[in-house]
Amino acid sequence: MKASREATRLFVGGLGQSVSAADLQSQFSRFGDVSDVEIITRKDDQGNPQKVFAYINIRVAESDLKKCMSVLNNTKWKGGTLQIQLAKESFLHRLAREREEAQAKNEKSVLGNTNLLEKMGMVDFHMKAVPGTEVPGHKNWVVSKFGRVLPVLHLKNQHKRKIKYDPSKYCHNLKKIGEDFTNAIPVSNLTWELEGGNDPMSKKRQGKFSDFFSPPKKIIKVQKDQSSTLSLTLRPRPGRVIMENPHLPQQQTTQEIPNDPVTLKSPQLPDSDSQKLKSVFLQTSGLENTGNKNSISEDDIDSEDELRLMIAREENLERTTWSSINEYDSFEIVRDDFKSDVHKLCSLTGLGNKNVSCFDSEDNVGRDYDNDSGDTDDTAMKKNVGKVKKSTGFPQMEQSVYKKSSLKNRKKCELSDHCTKVQKSKTNVELALSHRVKQLSFKSLSNSSSSEDADSLSESAESEEGKYNAMMKNCLHVTLSLADLGHLAASDLKAPKEDSESGGWETTSKCDRASKSHGTSGGLHRSRQCIYPEEIVASLLEGEENTPGKQKPKENNLKLKFQAFKGVGCLYGKQPVKKSLKENVASSNINKNEHSLKLEDPTSMSLEKGLPYSNGSSSKLTPFQGAKKADDPNYIQPQKRQFTFKTQNHKVQSPSSSEKGSRNPISSLLPLKDKKPLRLGAETSLRGFDEDCCHGTTKTGEDSEKRPDLTSHMVPENSPEFSRMNTQGSKTDFPFSLNSSSNVFAKDKHAEDNQKRLSALEARQKAKEVQKKLVHNALANLDGPPEDKPTHIIFGSDSEIETEETSIREQSQLVEKPVKEVLSRASGTLFGSSSEEESDPEEDRNRFRIKPQFEGRAGQKLMNLQSHFGTDDRFRMDSRFLESDSEEEREDVNEKKTTEKEELAAEKLKALNIVQSILQTNLSNSASKGSVPAKKFKDIIHYDPTRHDHANYEKKRDDKPKESKAMRKKKREEAEKLPVVSKEMYYDITMDLKEIFQTTKDSHEKKDAPYVDCDEEKAKEVHVPAAPVMGAKQPSGFTFSFFDSDTKDVKEETYRVETVKPSRTAWQVAPRFQDSSSEEDDVTEETDDRKSSPGEVSLPAKETTRFFFFSNNDERLLGSDLFWRGMGGNISRNSWEARTNNLRMDCRKKHKDAKRRVKPK
Amino acid sequence: MRPLTEEETRVMFEKIAKYIGENLQLLVDRPDGTYCFRLHNDRVYYVSEKILKLAANIAGDKLVSLGTCFGKFTKTHKFRLHITALDYLAPYAKYKVWIKPGAEQSFLYGNHVLKSGLGRITENTSQYQGVVVYSMADIPLGFGVAAKSTQDCRKVDPMAIVVFHQADIGEYVRHEETLT
Repeated sequence: MKASREATRLFVGGLGQSVSAADLQSQFSRFGDVSDVEIITRKDDQGNPQKVFAYINIRVAESDLKKCMSVLNNTKWKGGTLQIQLAKESFLHRLAREREEAQAKNEKSVLGNTNLLEKMGMVDFHMKAVPGTEVPGHKNWVVSKFGRVLPVLHLKNQHKRKIKYDPSKYCHNLKKIGEDFTNAIPVSNLTWELEGGNDPMSKKRQGKFSDFFSPPKKIIKVQKDQSSTLSLTLRPRPGRVIMENPHLPQQQTTQEIPNDPVTLKSPQLPDSDSQKLKSVFLQTSGLENTGNKNSISEDDIDSEDELRLMIAREENLERTTWSSINEYDSFEIVRDDFKSDVHKLCSLTGLGNKNVSCFDSEDNVGRDYDNDSGDTDDTAMKKNVGKVKKSTGFPQMEQSVYKKSSLKNRKKCELSDHCTKVQKSKTNVELALSHRVKQLSFKSLSNSSSSEDADSLSESAESEEGKYNAMMKNCLHVTLSLADLGHLAASDLKAPKEDSESGGWETTSKCDRASKSHGTSGGLHRSRQCIYPEEIVASLLEGEENTPGKQKPKENNLKLKFQAFKGVGCLYGKQPVKKSLKENVASSNINKNEHSLKLEDPTSMSLEKGLPYSNGSSSKLTPFQGAKKADDPNYIQPQKRQFTFKTQNHKVQSPSSSEKGSRNPISSLLPLKDKKPLRLGAETSLRGFDEDCCHGTTKTGEDSEKRPDLTSHMVPENSPEFSRMNTQGSKTDFPFSLNSSSNVFAKDKHAEDNQKRLSALEARQKAKEVQKKLVHNALANLDGPPEDKPTHIIFGSDSEIETEETSIREQSQLVEKPVKEVLSRASGTLFGSSSEEESDPEEDRNRFRIKPQFEGRAGQKLMNLQSHFGTDDRFRMDSRFLESDSEEEREDVNEKKTTEKEELAAEKLKALNIVQSILQTNLSNSASKGSVPAKKFKDIIHYDPTRHDHANYEKKRDDKPKESKAMRKKKREEAEKLPVVSKEMYYDITMDLKEIFQTTKDSHEKKDAPYVDCDEEKAKEVHVPAAPVMGAKQPSGFTFSFFDSDTKDVKEETYRVETVKPSRTAWQVAPRFQDSSSEEDDVTEETDDRKSSPGEVSLPAKETTRFFFFSNNDERLLGSDLFWRGMGGNISRNSWEARTNNLRMDCRKKHKDAKRRVKPK
Repeated sequence: MRPLTEEETRVMFEKIAKYIGENLQLLVDRPDGTYCFRLHNDRVYYVSEKILKLAANIAGDKLVSLGTCFGKFTKTHKFRLHITALDYLAPYAKYKVWIKPGAEQSFLYGNHVLKSGLGRITENTSQYQGVVVYSMADIPLGFGVAAKSTQDCRKVDPMAIVVFHQADIGEYVRHEETLT
């Protein structure tokens, strides 16, 4: 029986209030042993008991319990309906029992039962323990809810706090899986199949992607490339490229190979430039391992815009869409006010651009290399050239390349020329250059290179292209042996030696021979080379507009360009030296040019060589040329000339005689650079002596002219006239060049050449003579007055031009005349133009001539009248006229304007109406016009720092702290002074005691000074004594109604300070008082506002403290009663105290209630 | 060169309002000056008052264009927007579509925007709403008409057309002769 009895806890509810524990115990003891009765009464807020219930611990058998329930449940007992239920075990009991159990278990485990488990290496997890009990022997393992043993987790929080996760405190989410788990569908069956045919869409839907799509990244890349117009990038997989870009030109593949070296270089160069480039590289390399270099560098990025696009695209890809691209569904939906952060990107691209520009130039180089054939894209080349000019870095590199390889390359080029076929026109130009270089192999190559560089800058695009081609050539032909070079050099050496022996022209011819002997088809080559420049020049000449255009800029520009010309001149000059001597028949202009050329070339050669024998040769040459030159203008000794020609022809083997003529226009510029003008002049003068011509004097004059000309030209004077003259000269030359070009074809056979040349020369001579006759006739008619001279002289020779003008001025008149004559004769063809210019001075003269109508007295009178006409008062324009007119006009204009404005306004209104009708919503909005812009600009305010009303948008940082500092300081000072001031008050209050306390006050002031000086600590010390004083003075401390009790000494004191003023105003205190007020540097204004009430507040303190000052009922204090509610303050305080007490009580009560409420639970 | 008639104005405004909605007001009523629409050679030009005065000095048959060409009236008196109007549509556009970099070129070649190329779209874009097309870098590329509403855009398959092409900045190159 007893065993069946269980300790149960019963809940007995619905008890009457009078029920006691004993009653319950007696009542329930019928059924079992009642061990404990606990009666609990629930009370409401007022403390009235609402519920009374009890917990009864009872040991009872089941049957008894049932009986008990059936008997007692729902029965009325002592004013309540009993409700009996089984209750949970009391926690105390439970705790005790658990402890016991735990102890028992421990003992058990120690004894044996758990030993088994431990032996088996297992833990008995099936503990009946209450949740929260620790698993014995395992730290941090806890019985969780539902009886599982789980570890206590120590998690790290974001805030660096450790979170302890105790599984016993939380319900975990473990759930038992139902039995139907076995019926689960296999995973393979889970994916449902989409219906659809074989079309790609359905396939894609099914997740089958053709390998075209399989690597989405690459696809994107390809797309990107497509989008970039360049689209030259090479994919890592060419097959895909072909698929994607069927139009990828094969050029790329071909170009790629030559580009590669460049691209390899490129990363090194940009290193210094910018990191951005690197980054680009890195990025791309990250994306594509193999192809990226090519893709970036070799993409012939024509324009920076495209580059920018490229980069932006790439960055975009990286930044945003790499992840999203794979999924097609990845578009986002944004709100209307969406704004993306593009600025960053832009800036990035901007950075990138710079770097890429470097690439550009390099790309250009690469292209140049690529375009070996040279005939592909002229336009492209030109573009490149332009770019080269733009990018500063690139030309330098180029130059350096030139300088490095100039010697070798050119010679090699030369060799290659001989070995290979004739190149195209541009290359030919370059070849000619190189040819020249070869023959001047001993020249300092730096010069030539510099000249070439200058060429590259100044010359036309064609020549540049040629140069580029040549560069490429050079690069290609780097393999040539040094032996060849040496051979060439030897030949060159030979040539000058021969020169010294035989004569100027021989040297050149021998050079030619030597070169020919070296080359297989040298003669042909040379001829062709000659042809091409000639052609170019011819084309230049033909395009009369072109030539001035081209030459003018050249001349207008710097010395560099002159150097360039010099280079060109050298180019041509060499050949003329060889062959040109025959062709003196050409016009005097041409001859002169040639002479200058000839002179310059050898001299320059000699100069650059720096060898004595070369000088000798040059000297030899120059006399010869000089003689010829002297002959030419004269045209008196054609036979001689012919003779010389013949000799030259015999000796000279190079057939192309005509080139020289063509070259002349260019070579005419050479004298500018000529470094031996003086020598030339001297030589010519010598020749002049030798000559038999009747115009000997004229010649000398010319020579003398030439000298200054040349010298003056040494200074880079550039003038359009000059160029014009040149062009004119070239015009005259042109026919000859044409003739000569016809001769060109028969170069190989000397005999034929010579014959033809002779015939041509004769023909030319005849033509010349005819011309000369014409000139003579024309000259004979002209009685040139001295004033006309300068104009005439301008038409002289190409080379002389302006210098003539200047030189003529400088020189004597005597010289000028013959000069003029000579020049005029020489330039027969220019005569027409000269006549045009002649008219100008005549006009000038006519201007100053008295007009026929003014001749005579009548005429004079007329003139007077006319001169007077303007000043006559009658014809004076009055302001009246002006005003009336202007007013009318103004009115008109105004009317027009107003009408226009009205029209526009009307139109606008109409448009707005239509807008309203269309939108149908914004009727109200558009009704007020101003509201629209206001609305528009409401959100975005353009901050204008110059506007004053925008100042409130500014942040004032500095002012506030400063102010606060000042305030603080002031406050501190106030605080320091306050006690002193309050003391003063006593003495100041009454006028009578003024004198008595005068001295004391002074002393106080003296005290004051140290207070002010001392810092805060002292100030506090001052306060501390001050406060007790105040307290002493205020026995009735509760006079302050709004400060509950004594809050802050400082505050009180501040108010105390203010008391000074009311007292003064009230009682008309003496001016001395003002000193004290001023002493405490202007107590702030706000205090003045408040002064009335606190002032009175302080008064009672005085009254109480210094009673003897006032009688008990001072009439002065009577009025203040109105303001001062000292008694009222007491009353209010009492009421306040009462209220606070009430409140406190209430608070306590509530607190207790809350406590009570919490307690049972 | 003449002002638009009321009917023309209505037609044109209706078209423009498809893209910029009530912002159309801002075009008509500008705070920075008087601007007006002028018809010349069947094309509508958006001209400032200043330029209008200047253009008055040029004979009508010699005048090629003035101000900004917004579009032209077809023979059937419908209005067709030109790409040159993009400068004014883009800043005021209410509904925008951003296209992925990969699809940019396709769009700039005159193709419609597929869903695969759709990078971003303004929410609650309705069907057949005029939209301005931007690149992901927020560069306006052109404009078109939404073929699907925003909600539909979610559902359709990736190759479906989302935006019908109307004009793109590629036309500056492709139709250079017709853009005045």
